Amino acid sequence: MGKVTQLLAHPTELKAALQLKFFRKSMYPIDVNSQSETEKTCYKLLKKTSRSFCAVIMELNPELRNAIMIFYLVLRALDTIEDDMTISPDVKVPILREFDSYLLTKDWTFNGSGPNEKDRIVLVQFDVILAEYHKLKPEYQDVIKDITFKMGNGMADYISNEEFNLNGVKTVADYDLYCHYVAGLVGEGLTKLTVAAEFGPASLIDDMHLSESMGLFLQKTNIIRDYKEDMDDGRSFWPEEIWSKHTEKLSNFTKPEYLQDGLNCTSDLVLNVLEHVKDVLIYLSQIYDNSTFNFCAIPQVMAIATLSAVFQNPLVFKQNVKIRKGETCKLILESRTYAGVLNIFSKYLKTIHHKCPVSDPNYLRIGIKCGELEQFLEELNPNPSHIPKGAKPMQTVYYLNAKKKLELDQSIVPILKKEYSTINTVLSLFGCSFIFFLIFAYDFAKNSAV
Amino acid sequence: MSLDSVLLIGGAGFLGLHLIQQFWNESPRPEIHVFDIRPIPDKISKYFTFDPAAIHIHIGDLTSEDDVKLAIKESNPSVIVHSASPMHGLPQAVYEKVNIQGTANLIKCAKDMGITALVYTSSAGVIFNGQDIHNADESWPIPEVPMDGYNETKAIAEEMVLKANSFDEPFYTVALRPAGIFGPGDRQLVPGLRNVLKNGQTKFQVGDNNNLFDWTYAGNVADAHILAAKKLLDPSSLHQVGGEKFFITNDTPSYFWTLARTVWKADGHIDSYNIVLNRPVAIVAGYLSEFFSKILKKEPGLTPFRVKVVCAYRYHNITKAKTILGYKPQVGLEEGIRYTLDWMNETNQ
Repeated sequence: MGKVTQLLAHPTELKAALQLKFFRKSMYPIDVNSQSETEKTCYKLLKKTSRSFCAVIMELNPELRNAIMIFYLVLRALDTIEDDMTISPDVKVPILREFDSYLLTKDWTFNGSGPNEKDRIVLVQFDVILAEYHKLKPEYQDVIKDITFKMGNGMADYISNEEFNLNGVKTVADYDLYCHYVAGLVGEGLTKLTVAAEFGPASLIDDMHLSESMGLFLQKTNIIRDYKEDMDDGRSFWPEEIWSKHTEKLSNFTKPEYLQDGLNCTSDLVLNVLEHVKDVLIYLSQIYDNSTFNFCAIPQVMAIATLSAVFQNPLVFKQNVKIRKGETCKLILESRTYAGVLNIFSKYLKTIHHKCPVSDPNYLRIGIKCGELEQFLEELNPNPSHIPKGAKPMQTVYYLNAKKKLELDQSIVPILKKEYSTINTVLSLFGCSFIFFLIFAYDFAKNSAV
Repeated sequence: MSLDSVLLIGGAGFLGLHLIQQFWNESPRPEIHVFDIRPIPDKISKYFTFDPAAIHIHIGDLTSEDDVKLAIKESNPSVIVHSASPMHGLPQAVYEKVNIQGTANLIKCAKDMGITALVYTSSAGVIFNGQDIHNADESWPIPEVPMDGYNETKAIAEEMVLKANSFDEPFYTVALRPAGIFGPGDRQLVPGLRNVLKNGQTKFQVGDNNNLFDWTYAGNVADAHILAAKKLLDPSSLHQVGGEKFFITNDTPSYFWTLARTVWKADGHIDSYNIVLNRPVAIVAGYLSEFFSKILKKEPGLTPFRVKVVCAYRYHNITKAKTILGYKPQVGLEEGIRYTLDWMNETNQ
């Protein structure tokens, strides 16, 4: 009931939720009949481990759909080993380090997960995942294997790192490195798959810092949001280099007397995350295939919305701060074009700018960073009314890539317009019917009274 | 050609002192000559570390051919830097005399005396006539109808300077367009905001504070002049620079009221709330304020002009200065504001 009342309080979000559920057409519908048994089982595993991610993967171009599904499941398996506290490190570490070699087998499985380990099923049925893995194109298999190797070793290193486990993240560089292993590598893998599919330029592999930022932007946002949850689990990922400027002990922020310091710390952390925004926007401007673009863009717009929500928000120290379901629907619909993504970023950057109190030690820095990003947004997609007669936008590489992407998006604009007009028509009809019903009911009641 | 000697036209002014300082910091240090209508002030900010006794002063009238030629002869400059300019708010005749006639005279004298390099301090305001400026670069045109007399004469002077560029004579020129200059010696930007604080008016916000503004620290502007001067003297780069104009900013466009509040905060003041007047309401209030001030024969605090200025977007793309001049702002906004307030406290303003 909470969701329904929440939606009713935000009518445009209610409309977005209805549109998303009933009117958005899939670009590449899945033909279940043509799927093999192992393929079907993999999709069931995907759905079981992440319903929301499953929905996103379903929308992908068939060229990449199965590759990314398998990539996801393999990493989930890796993560399940890493997360399992019932497995001792001396068993866990070798498995993580050699996990990529299991991909060369046909029937490896693992039954040693704790009975309550949430996603143990991906390990118990890993042979099914392997069957589909070996059906992928060799270049896709290579990418998945390579990332699995790097990530498995990264995880193993962290498990063996007593300093990290005892005291958490120290420096901003440590923070970036941790996020690299947890999320940056995923970005790297997805980028290599995208380039192998020719849905993005090969230069994305040379500019790996762009995909790195894609991963770090998401991960750092989640780390800020998950403060309370992580503290409750006895973990901490906020870098000491940042929080020690505001308090002596990270757990102080849960106390009312340290609230202001905590809020200032969220500003410091958000400022750090905003460093990745330019790279994110540059990266997205170079993804040609629209379904792949959606796949990449949706998490990023969710992240900027979340960042805006956690910024200077006292609730961060009490619970996970989440954006409303309806807002989520709206973001998914609006981020289907590059122009839509730019508008979303612009909107939430303004929110962050306006939320920042003058007393914040980072007040001017936040203002400057938001200004810099707004300037960049203007460079990427200048508002035509902003450019006087006789002038033209500076022909930077970023501008030209964005322009090309915006032109490619023109092919789907009519589809979106039709969809929006359909939902508007349907809502109008329902509205009229409801009004007629009210009039009729009133007349009926009046007649009955007589 | 090396930078052996520099003649700073207007060197005793606000920007001029920063030019002296930045040329003083150069190694090897060139001979520094100043041409102005008045000498360097007896009392200068502790911020400046140059030795006034080592600066050669030439007093004269910029529109006088004799005065200018004598100064050029005595200083024998490798490059002339022309930053002389009257402040905003003066009669039109003053602007025309200094900015147009003075500049024309300087160009003539420099050519007659065989000088080959001239750096002119223009203004980012030459492209502004009240409309929003979003990420403007050097391709933006000068508006046909100027905002005011000051900007009109700056634009005319800039055009004269750039047209005078010639790779044959040889006579190389460049125009720099700084935006919103502030720093020690500033009499308008930061002091104006401090006045708002003294008048207890910091609670009022005109507009929605979404408009981006470029401020530029004076020391950075001076740096840009030195870079431009060196490029004009360097055969390998002068063709890229000669006859060109460059926007110069701190490369950190910021929201107008965020900048204002940063100044007030540095002065120890933070408001607990703001009263926001949106633009149309503020313009009406401006007209009323102007009307009543005329009746009362007082200076109006709020005018439609000021409302338009504080609500306008005015930020610039300085890629050209960064790539061709190698310009990089050395002093950030926060640091620059600190220097400026320290200077104001020092002089008890």
